[in-house]
Amino acid sequence: MSSNFGKPIDAQKPSVVSPAAAAIISLVVPGLGQVLAGSFRKGLVLLASLTSIVALWYWRVRLVGRLEPTFPQAVSKSFYLQPILLVVAIGMIVTYLWIAYDAYVTAKRAQTTSGFVVWTLILFLFFFLGWQIGDIRPVALVRDAQDAGPFMMRILWPWDRAISRPEELLTGTVKVQTPCVEPVPELPQEVAGEPYISVTPTCGDLSKQSEATGTTLTLTGRNFAPNAETEIWWQDDMGNEFRQRQAGEYITVMTDENGAFAIDIIMPYRTIPQSDTREFALWELQARQVASLGAAEPSAELLISIEKMVETIFLGMMSTFFGIILSVPISFLAARNLMSTSWITLVIYYVVRAILNIIRSIEPLIWAVIAIIVVGLGPFAGIVALTVHTIASLGKLYSEAIESIDPGPIEAIQATGANWLQTVMFAVVPQIIPPFVSFTIYRWDINVRMSTVIGLVGGGGIGFVLIQWIRLLDYKAAGIAVWFIALTVTILDYVSAEIRARFV
Amino acid sequence: MLEIRHLTKIYDDGTVALRDVNFQVPDGEFMVVIGLSGSGKSTLLRCINRLIDPTEGEILWDGVDLAKLKGDDLRNMRRHIGMVFQQFNLVKRSSVYNNVMAGRLGYSPTWRSVLGRFSPQDHERARQSMDRMGIMDQAYKRADELSGGQQQRVGIARALMQEPKMILADEPVASLDPVLAHSILQHLERLNREDGITVICSLHYLDLVQRYGTSVIGLRAGQLVYQGSRDDIRELTDEQFKTIYGEEAERIGDLTGGIKGTVGGEP
Repeated sequence: MSSNFGKPIDAQKPSVVSPAAAAIISLVVPGLGQVLAGSFRKGLVLLASLTSIVALWYWRVRLVGRLEPTFPQAVSKSFYLQPILLVVAIGMIVTYLWIAYDAYVTAKRAQTTSGFVVWTLILFLFFFLGWQIGDIRPVALVRDAQDAGPFMMRILWPWDRAISRPEELLTGTVKVQTPCVEPVPELPQEVAGEPYISVTPTCGDLSKQSEATGTTLTLTGRNFAPNAETEIWWQDDMGNEFRQRQAGEYITVMTDENGAFAIDIIMPYRTIPQSDTREFALWELQARQVASLGAAEPSAELLISIEKMVETIFLGMMSTFFGIILSVPISFLAARNLMSTSWITLVIYYVVRAILNIIRSIEPLIWAVIAIIVVGLGPFAGIVALTVHTIASLGKLYSEAIESIDPGPIEAIQATGANWLQTVMFAVVPQIIPPFVSFTIYRWDINVRMSTVIGLVGGGGIGFVLIQWIRLLDYKAAGIAVWFIALTVTILDYVSAEIRARFV
Repeated sequence: MLEIRHLTKIYDDGTVALRDVNFQVPDGEFMVVIGLSGSGKSTLLRCINRLIDPTEGEILWDGVDLAKLKGDDLRNMRRHIGMVFQQFNLVKRSSVYNNVMAGRLGYSPTWRSVLGRFSPQDHERARQSMDRMGIMDQAYKRADELSGGQQQRVGIARALMQEPKMILADEPVASLDPVLAHSILQHLERLNREDGITVICSLHYLDLVQRYGTSVIGLRAGQLVYQGSRDDIRELTDEQFKTIYGEEAERIGDLTGGIKGTVGGEP
């Protein structure tokens, strides 16, 4: 960098003060010495830079040391917590002194002015302040990265969530009489292949509050799903169902590899109303198993992801379609070469351009929020939002394509005696079709990608379910959605490149 | 017979492009317009087929004042006047065939032509035009794939589709090298001689003017400063040349002599 950086504009003005005076003045007001020495612009920029650096530094020191009562305490606390603020402080002092020295040199009109050093210093100070304000902690990238591992793994390989097996309830039932009164119930008949349980004895006494334990029953089961948890349930003669507890805990028994089990249970405690004067009650003892049997089928998450992905692609397609239809006429109003014929059309041109720029500067996600207020949640809101943004951006791109057409063919076609429509069709349209197709495909590409996130705010498409699964911490389901998005965007990227290559 | 009377063109920004220009072009003439860039040559040619509206004056062609035509009359007039341009003005992305066919638009019903439907006679005429210009092989190429000389021949073929009585050529060879320049001008000369088409052509090189022109007018700052017949051109001296072109003008050298032999060999 040249040594008189920032000087060429006003380097020739004479200094009104001596070099020493310029230095002293710059010590009082940094940059004023340069101003008086003739470098007006440089002095002002130096003053503005140093002032804003000091102000930013003060703000950060106050923020970091906000619990300290006095400013000096806040300074020492902030230096302790954020040493980079100390670096900035030292840099500020060096810069302050260097500005005074620079004023001296500037006033002396020496060839070796120190502009490069002072601008570099200011640049570094802004960089350090930016580092502190941005809360940049590269070490966190390394130190805490492993915490994201399990989540990342679920998102990257979610496919065991993509299939499910239908669940089936297997139940074996046996009658138990309480208390024992002849004749006791008989064991049920075993049906081949069906879950079957037997109990010995088939009658007994319930646990009582006073005598603690009731009769111990030995329960054996067969033909259940192997290696699966089995729950023991009771159903009294009133039809009430309750689960067997032992020592306060629900009990479960694991079946062996043949689907059989055996367990001893103590008959539960149950209050029998005084009014019940029957001799005995016949209860049912059940072994229940929820088993994933049967053929694998696509999980609900997979099906929803596919449905929503299709919805997303069409969301992008429809918004592109509406965008094209509406932006073509608008683009003619936004083309300078067509609109500069009179001041009225020129005003229209500027107004249309301004509106397009404003619409385009508002992101589709924000348009989606607005659209949801108008039309409610769902894909239509997303289509409205993307259409609005598409009109603005395609309108601009189209109008630039129109502005860049070659007027030569137009006058050539006019010269053949062609009328207006023939001229447009033969001289204008062939020139704008390739850029229009190119921009349209580019926009379709953007719209499909945007429609994957438009659902995050409720605009329909796959983003709608993606954000739900993320909030439910169902990272595998989210992973399926992410995979579909990645796949679609990749395919689309390839297809749009192919189509564009063919037209342009 | 084309007769220009008191033709004046003043642009909206106040530039006077033509000032009281008067001349006559008998039918079958190969008239050359010479003059510096900005002298008004292009404006003059575009006034004749009304791509530019003249400010004042009359353009009488077989008794009809072209300057007063409007709407359908204007378009019907235009289709009898072919135009060839310095930059060829082809639709670059369209095929040669479509570019040539565009010359027929003035004769075709709007809706049929917009849908790209032309009569069998028009297709036949397009083949003949391209054949005549030696670009039959290029018919289905994109126009911008062709060389400059070939593109200009497409431009002439397009003008031929109009069955023109007159061809306006606005510096048709200024973008081409000398060999191609002769080739293109010979094509125009042939149309002039064989079909009796009046040609009004602006040119830069005095040597080409002398070789092809049957009459010459010179423009300088929008005013007619020279008018000469075929014989006058041959004797056009450097002095007269300088009155048209200004003091800085130099004769570029005899292009015809050394190159003539190779002209016919140009594909």
